[in-house]
Formats: sequence, structure tokens, C-alpha cells
Amino acid sequence: MSDAKDSASPEFLKAQKKTTGAYLRFSVGLGLLSGLLLIAQAWCLANIINNVIFEKATVANLSSYFVALFFVYLFRAGLNWASEYTAVEAALRVKRDLRKKLHDRLFEVGPLSLNNERSGELINTVVDGVDALENYYARYLPTMSLVALIPLSILVFIFPIDWISGVIMLVTAPLIPFFMIMIGKGTERLNKKQWRKLARMSAHFLDMIQGLTTLKLFNASRRESQLIARISDDYRKSTMSVLRVAFLSSLLLEFLSTVSIAMVAVLIGFRLMYGELDFFYGFFALLLAPEFYQPLRNMGTHYHARMEAIGAAEKMIEILHPDDVKSEDTLIKSTLIKSALVKSTLIKSALVKSTLLKDVPVNNDLASSSSSELSHSSIVENKTLGITNSIKIEFKDVSFEYEPGRPALEHLSLSIKANENIAIVGSSGAGKSTLMNLLLGFISPQQGEIVINQKPLRQDHLNEWRHNIAWMPQRAHLFQGTIRENICLANPSANDSAMKNAAKSALINEYIESLPDSYDTHIGERGAGLSGGQIQRIALARAFLKDAPLLLLDEPTAYLDQESEALIQQSLQLLSKDRCVISIAHRLNTVQQADRVVLLEKGRVVAIANHQTLMAENPLYQKMVDLFEQGDQHHA
Amino acid sequence: MLSDFQVMRRLFTLIKPWWGWMLLGVVLSLLTILANIGLMALSGWFIASMAIAGITGAAINYFTPAALIRAFAIIRTSSRYAERLVTHEATFRLIASLRSWFYDHLEPLAPAVIQNYRSGDLLSRIRADIDTLDNFYLRIIAPVTVAFISSIIIVIFLWQYSQTLAFIELFFLVAAGVLLPLLINRWGYSASSRQSKITSELRSAVMDSTQGMSELLINDAAKRHSDYVEQLSEGLLKDQKSLATLNGGSQAMSGLLANLCVLLMLIIAIPMVNSEAIGPASLPMLALFTMASFEAIMPLSLAFQTLPTTLAAARRLFDIVDSKPAIIEPEIPHPLPDSADLVFNNMSLRYPSQETDALQNISVNIPTGTNIAIVGPSGSGKSSLINALMKFWPVSSGEISFGGVPIEQLDGEELRSQFAVASQHSTLFNSTIKRNLLLANRKATDSELEAVCKVAQIHDFIMELPEGYDTWIGEAGHKLSGGQMRRISIARTLLKAAPILILDEPGEGLDSITEKNMLQSIIENNKQRTLILITHHLSGLDAMDQIVRIEKGNIVSNQDD
Repeated sequence: MSDAKDSASPEFLKAQKKTTGAYLRFSVGLGLLSGLLLIAQAWCLANIINNVIFEKATVANLSSYFVALFFVYLFRAGLNWASEYTAVEAALRVKRDLRKKLHDRLFEVGPLSLNNERSGELINTVVDGVDALENYYARYLPTMSLVALIPLSILVFIFPIDWISGVIMLVTAPLIPFFMIMIGKGTERLNKKQWRKLARMSAHFLDMIQGLTTLKLFNASRRESQLIARISDDYRKSTMSVLRVAFLSSLLLEFLSTVSIAMVAVLIGFRLMYGELDFFYGFFALLLAPEFYQPLRNMGTHYHARMEAIGAAEKMIEILHPDDVKSEDTLIKSTLIKSALVKSTLIKSALVKSTLLKDVPVNNDLASSSSSELSHSSIVENKTLGITNSIKIEFKDVSFEYEPGRPALEHLSLSIKANENIAIVGSSGAGKSTLMNLLLGFISPQQGEIVINQKPLRQDHLNEWRHNIAWMPQRAHLFQGTIRENICLANPSANDSAMKNAAKSALINEYIESLPDSYDTHIGERGAGLSGGQIQRIALARAFLKDAPLLLLDEPTAYLDQESEALIQQSLQLLSKDRCVISIAHRLNTVQQADRVVLLEKGRVVAIANHQTLMAENPLYQKMVDLFEQGDQHHA
Repeated sequence: MLSDFQVMRRLFTLIKPWWGWMLLGVVLSLLTILANIGLMALSGWFIASMAIAGITGAAINYFTPAALIRAFAIIRTSSRYAERLVTHEATFRLIASLRSWFYDHLEPLAPAVIQNYRSGDLLSRIRADIDTLDNFYLRIIAPVTVAFISSIIIVIFLWQYSQTLAFIELFFLVAAGVLLPLLINRWGYSASSRQSKITSELRSAVMDSTQGMSELLINDAAKRHSDYVEQLSEGLLKDQKSLATLNGGSQAMSGLLANLCVLLMLIIAIPMVNSEAIGPASLPMLALFTMASFEAIMPLSLAFQTLPTTLAAARRLFDIVDSKPAIIEPEIPHPLPDSADLVFNNMSLRYPSQETDALQNISVNIPTGTNIAIVGPSGSGKSSLINALMKFWPVSSGEISFGGVPIEQLDGEELRSQFAVASQHSTLFNSTIKRNLLLANRKATDSELEAVCKVAQIHDFIMELPEGYDTWIGEAGHKLSGGQMRRISIARTLLKAAPILILDEPGEGLDSITEKNMLQSIIENNKQRTLILITHHLSGLDAMDQIVRIEKGNIVSNQDD
């Protein structure tokens, strides 16, 4: 962990303070007011007791003090509550803002940069990480503001009446944070190490439970039981040795505050006996002594909120400002971001501003009106591609590299006619997915351009462009919600019969209708409860309903059994009719149906022709197709 | 379902071994609180007495109280430090014993019972539940005990002065320490249960964002989904806000109750001072005593908040631990036979929730040292064969005999020592490659490790890693591909010295050439022991003595080569 990163988190946390608006200051103000009333409260109490002891006053004589005290108590309770309420409101504002920023940022970096293995960690940061900030803004920050204000206000009253007690307080108070920081600095690192150890111990335990069957097969399961006990015990020993030092700061806090109160009491007592001080003032000072140290105690209590927040902030910085993090393993660390996406800053603005932040007019127009209207409007003329229902795509000398010096696609030129069926073939790493990602708009060419119906495809066309694409990946994602919502993903306002027709075309209607809740059946996480084939067919229904002029396929039957494959192929033939289809092919079937096959090798086009021609002429292609056949057989 | 009381009782039994540490923690914590009350009360009495002595000129022994005040300060300081160390020591000892306890009880249940808990979510719930139990002592037992005992001492002390004062104190302590938290818990119940529900919805929605982003973008649904996430986040914040408002109110209220208690005490005590029933110096003493006494009940509201979640966590764990193991081991197991002949005799196996047999009337004879392939599509019951053979699941009818002895009569652990199994679910642990391999044979030498890795076609790959066999694998270390993990787990299996070797789909995740080489090498190096090869395709079966085809739990053909 570098020093730069250590200071980045506190700065990041501080920067978020502006989101709290006036609430944080308001909360501190209320807390301070309550602190000042504490002085009034002590004054009333000292008066009552002084008058009873030395003036023989009765309750009736003192009724005005009692009434005053009662209202001060009530008022302080109200202030404390309001202070807490505003502090939480301040924290909630930061949480709301950050969660939105983090979530938007995910879309900003786009699907290619999201490392699947880390997806769990991303989710944790967006959900729990944000929640972990609450105590920092609602407790730690207000406490830190009050830690100086309240003791100073108390001192203002103590000094004129009893300077000796004032000096004791003034001298001891700064020692507390001083020593706490001294000890804290030393133990912070150790503490972090201990936390990591705890996490590792927890992970080990989980690992053992998960692998219990394997352990049993090797007759090692009982041996591991001792290991678990031993690891936990080692952890206890090492943690306790850290804690012995870490708790010194609380020892010191306790020592300084308690011994100071004792000293104040004893010294006041003697001066009272010698008649150097009035009892009223002495008692007043004694009442305020514990209150003087209270904010310092609170600081000790809420200090760990800071540690926790810093831990959470580290992860947020990795997502929001990956460039600032030098560490090797950041959450969204991809050369992608640095080379391609960040370079074309357009994508940031285009994606975030138009897709997420607000509904730009273009977007609304597309959803509500026919495309012919669009092409008439002179204002939006340059912003639209003006696609009606046929699409011609031209790659003009397109190059793309994810990392400098390692081209994924080089000088690709290809023109695709309207309603043509194109299959893309190549071994892994040949550039098939890059080509698909360019078409999907997840990346944009670093050189050359993609031209759609004579107009260059630009970032601000993305919404309209994607509106014209239906896409089937190898493993479609189903969302939490009903089957209906999943089919209508692109057309939320589609009517019932259109949705059912789509399901029928995807040959999934019978299955859905056999479910008790039919189309309103809830789908669990990642389509839990559905087979791979059913998931793909629901996604296919989605494509049917979208009815887009361009169909992009990434071998959607790759992970399916033969039966499901046959069903999907049948629907796909129907869907492919009168459309432009571009598919990444791993199956013989797919290449045979294509009008033309594009053979890629190491980022370059090797040949473009139909299946028969390539079979006859291209040895590389013959080899690929041979592999397809083997795969198909293996599959069977 | 266990009642709250039963759960508590069992929890107490679990933590009993550490009662000494826990008691010490309670005593120290009690001392810390009482020393502070003593310090404040005595200080009040002291300065009032000194002031009176100053005015009246009466003689006063000021040495004892002044020394006591300092003593209280020192006791408070040192017992606070010791208390924190001791309670943490007790907690860590608890963590260790709870984990071992849970593991020891889970071990006999594996894999039959824990198969239901396979998914990562459930496992991490188990982990979270155990973490929750860690707090049982620190958050619940210790503060409740301390609050209870110190309240008794506080009330007894006041009783010396006046019964009324004692009752008032008791009333306010109970109101602020018990009634208020109970009330707040009840009011916050719906918000806090909704909060956990929305949190899990939010988690799924964000998961949809990360894993379904492409679909969202292509289908123009990104904004809609973001709005949905925002809406969930807003709902969560709303509930968090109402809970915070409630808790803030609770804190303010408990402070107010303490203050009102002081006020009421004064109103009762002042006439007593006026009538000289108690000395005048007792008045500031009583006021400061009362103020300080509320420290004792402060942690109770947290204890009340944590109790239901702790009990729920404990209940879930007890539910798992209480499940009956699928297999009851024989009391006096038959000694292991010398021969490793395996005979399946008309054996059937059915899982409890299933309507059909997973395996039906299986009869196979596998003499020692022969090679047999069991072939069939996935889902045909091949894995159930391993479950039955390993005594992970009981057979429903028929029997399996090992060396002529029905396996029910053999001890499961001894029986399993005779098999080296690479199952499809074999896990590699978060550790080094070497230590993962050594699991099979702790005494294996480096050259033995290399030999099995060469057979499993993974040695060359391991040597290419910068740290070779000491490479740390798993979540914390080097990511291996499925095929690499498979080969390491096969190497591990080969390392185990057992007369019967079972490989379940060894070629999974491997390209066909590697698979072929590996199988060939395994068969060549496997001269004496029985090999049972479970697979769904037919390549590399030339060297087999017997090929059994299984479909839907039935043997459809059995051919000897």
C-alpha cells in the first residue's frame, strides 16, 4: 500500500463533505448549543445545592431554579435529538450521492471493463461500502468539530471563577489527542494487519467448510478441525499482543480524564477548607469537569469509524478514479480504460449524460416517434443516423488495440449489404469479439471508422444505433423480476399480445404458460430455476419483440444441449429473415447458412467468401471447419 | 423450532468453558463503573464537607477521602484497561471454540446434509452467523450482567439513605435501561426488517447492473435500471433515516430520564437535609452519585438491539448442527479386509426428496487390479455411485461389499482410506499447490509430487510459474483455469496410496490431446491398483477390462473386453 493511496482516502472523504450541504454544520451548531446549555444546567444545579447547604433553602424557595433546570433538561434532550437527526441526514446525503456516482460509473466504464470475478467486490462497495460511511459523517466528523468547541466554551466559564481547575484542564486536554495520535499512528498499521488476518482466518474457515467433502475423501477432515482451533488460537495471541498496545490509548484517555477530575476535586476541597473559594464555584467546576472530558472520550469511541470509512473509500477511489491508484489490482483496472475509453472522452459524456443522467431529447424522440420524423428535423439532423429499416455497414480501415502494441484488430475493411447474413470465423484471439464490441458500441475505433448507411457512427449516435440492434450473447443475462419484464426489456410498453407473440416465436410460450404465474413468474438470481436453454429462449423472445433491423449473434447455442440448440436454431432462422445478421460462428450450421464468411486471423481479415468457396480454397478455413465438426460431435 | 429460551441455554452451554475469563471481564467492568460512581459521589461529599469545615472551623479528616478519591481514579483507569484486555481475550477464546464446535458438528454431516448449503450465499450466511455469535459475550452477556449487578449495588446504597430514593433510582434505571430500548425496538421493527429486505434487493439489482450491463445498454434499459437502483437506494435510506431518528430519540430520552432522576432525587432529598435527617454534604454526593450511576445501563440498548439477531443466528446454526447424519457408523466396525474386490449387488439408491431412484438394481463385479469404465450421459447417476461407495449416502436396497464385507459393517473413515477419488466437485484450497497436493499424503517427497504431476500433465505448467510448487492458489493467489485445477486435483488423487483409484470425468475442461495423454499416462502408471473411470464419452477406453454403460440410473450394458 503506497503512501499516496493512504492520503487519497481521507482527501476523498473530505471532498464529499460538500454534499452534506448545511446539515453537518447545523448538527455541530445544535451540539454546541446543547454543550452551552450544559453550563447553564451546572449553574442551576450548583445554585440549588449551595443554597440548600449554606442558606438552608427549601424546595419551595428554589422552585424557579427547579423549573429552569427542568426546561434546560428538556431543551437539551430536544437539541441532542435534532443534532443526531441532522448528522444522519448529512450522512445520508453523502451516501445517496456516492451510491449514484458509483453506480453510474459502472456504466461509464462499460461492460468490457467489468471484471467478472470482481463483480462481487463491486457490488459490496456499492451496497455495503457506502453504508460503512455513515458513522464517519454522522458521528466522527461532528465529534471532531465539537472536540475543541465544547471544552473551550467550558474553559471560558471555569477560568474566571477557578483558575487552578482551569489550568489542570487546559494542560491535560491537549495531551489526550497528542498521545492518542502518537499511539494511534503506531498501532494503525498493526491494526490493519490484524484486520487482514481476521479476514484471512474467516476465509480459511469458509474454505474448509466448502471443501469438507474433499477433505473427507482424503481422511483429512478431522485433522483440519485441530488446524481451525490452532489458527484461531494463533490469531488470538497475535491480536492480543497488538491490543495490549492499542488499548494504551484508551488507558491514557481514561487516566488523564479521571485523574484530572480527582485532582480538581481534591484541590477544590482544600481551597474550600481554607476559605479561598466559594462552594458554589467549586461545585460548579466539579460538575463541569467530567463534561469537559466527554467530547474527548467520544473522539476515542468514534475513531474507528474513520478507519472503517477509509477502508471503504479506498475501494470507491479504485472505481471512481482508477487512474489515481497505482496499485496493481484495482477493481476496475483495465488497460481498456486507460487506452481506449479514456482517450475517447466522448464515450464518458455520451454514455453517462445521454443514457443515464437525463433523458436527452433524442432518446425520447426515438422511443415515441417514428424515425421518419427524425430525419426531417434539421436540428437533430447531424445527431441521427437516420436508419429506417435497412442497414448497410461499412468498416473503413478500422484498427483497435486494448493495450498499446498489441493490436486486436488491424486495418479491417468490410462492407455489409442490407439484409446480408455474415458469419465471422477465427480462432480465439483473432479479433471476433473485438469486432462485435465495435458494432455494439462498447468500444470505438482508434483508427478508421464505421459507416452506417453512408454516415459515420459516432458516440452521440449510440442510443439510436443500439435501438436498431438485437443481440444474443452466448449466455444471456436474465434480470430479477418477472419473465414479462425480461422479455419487454427493450420495449417496456409493449402490449400483451406482442409480448406473447415474441415468446411464441422463441418457442418458449408453452413452457411459460405452464408455470402457475405464467408471464408474471418471478425469476431468481441469474435466472435461477430456469435451464440454460430456457434462459436463451427468453432472451430470444426479447430479440423478437425488439424487432431491430440488425441482429448480432455471439453463437447463442454454445453452452446448450442438442435439443435446446435445435429449438433455438429453428427460431433464429425465423428471426434472421429480412434482417442484417452478423454472427460469431463456432458451429458448422452457422457458417453454412451465412451469405458470406469472414475469416479472421490475428486481427486481420484473411478471406471473405461463402462457405463453399472457402472450403474449396482456404486451408486455414478447412481446418477451422474440421474443428467445428469435431466440436459438434463431441457435443453430441 | 427451538424457543428463544432453549437457544439461550444452549448458547450458555457452548460458552461455558470460558466462564473464568468471562467472569473476570464482568468483575473488572463492574469495578470500572463503580469506581467512577465512587469517584464522583465522594468528590461531591468531600468538597461540601471541606467547605462546611472551612466555614464552621470544625476539624475534619481529609486524608482518607482525598486518598480514596485518588484511589478510585487509579482503579477506574487500570480496571478499564484490564477489562478491555480480558473481555477481548474471552471473546477470542470464544471465537476459536465456536468455530471448532461448528466444524466438528458439521464434519459428520458432510456431504449429504451440507449439500443443501452448497451455494456460496448460504455458506457466507453461516460465516456471518458465526461472526454474530462472536459478539454474544461482549455485546450481550457482559453488559447485561454488569448492568444488573451494579443496579443492585446502586439501589442498596441508596436504600441506606431512604427507601424512596432507592425506588426512584430503580424506576429510572429500569425505564432508561429496559423499557425504553424495548419500546424503541418495537417501533423500529418494521423499518429494520424492511431494511434487510431492501438491502438484498439492492444487492441483486447492482449485480444485474454489473453482469447484465451489455443487455441493459443494447436494449436502452440502462437508464430505467439505474432509476430502479436509485429508487431502491432511496427506500433503503428512508428506512435508515427513520431508524436513526428513532435511535437519536432513544439516546436523547435516556439522557433526559437520567437528568429527571437527579431532579426528583433533589426534590426528595432537600427536605431531608432541611430536617437534618441526612447531613448537608450528602446532597451533592447524592446528585453526583445519581448522575454517574446511569453509566451502568448505557450499553443495554445495544444489547437489546443485538439480542434478536444473535438468537436468530444461533438458531440457524443449531438447525444445521442438529441435522441427523445420513449414515450411522457401526458401533463395532468390522476390521478392514485384505482384498479390495468390489461387488455391487442389486444395489439401489434414492435421495429423500426424489421420486425416482438415482441408481437402480446395480450389479457390478470389480476384482482387485482391474480397469473399469463407467460410461453414461451427465445426470445418469454416476456421481451417486461414488456417494454410495464412500458411505456418503446409504443405499436404499441391495448392498455393496468391499473385500467380501458389506460396507455398512466397515468404518467410513477406514473404508475411504482404501479409495483415491477425484470427484467432479473436488476443491482446491486457498493454499500453495504443494500443500494442496500433500493433503493426499503428508509424507510425500518432492520427487513423488513431481511424478504424479507429470502423470497428470501439469508439471510443466507448474514449473513455468515463478514460485513453482509454492505458488499460492485460489482467491488470494494465482488464478488457475478450470483445466489446470482439474489436473492438480487429479495429481493429488494419484498421490494417495490406496488400492482403488476413482476418476470422475478426468477430462473435463481439458483439450482432447491433453486428456488422451493424461489417461494413457495414468493407465501406464497404474499397474496394480483398481481403476474406476467415470466418463461421458468413449475415447481412451481401449485399456479397460470392463465397460459399464449407465443411463437414468440403470445399467444398460456391461461388456468385458
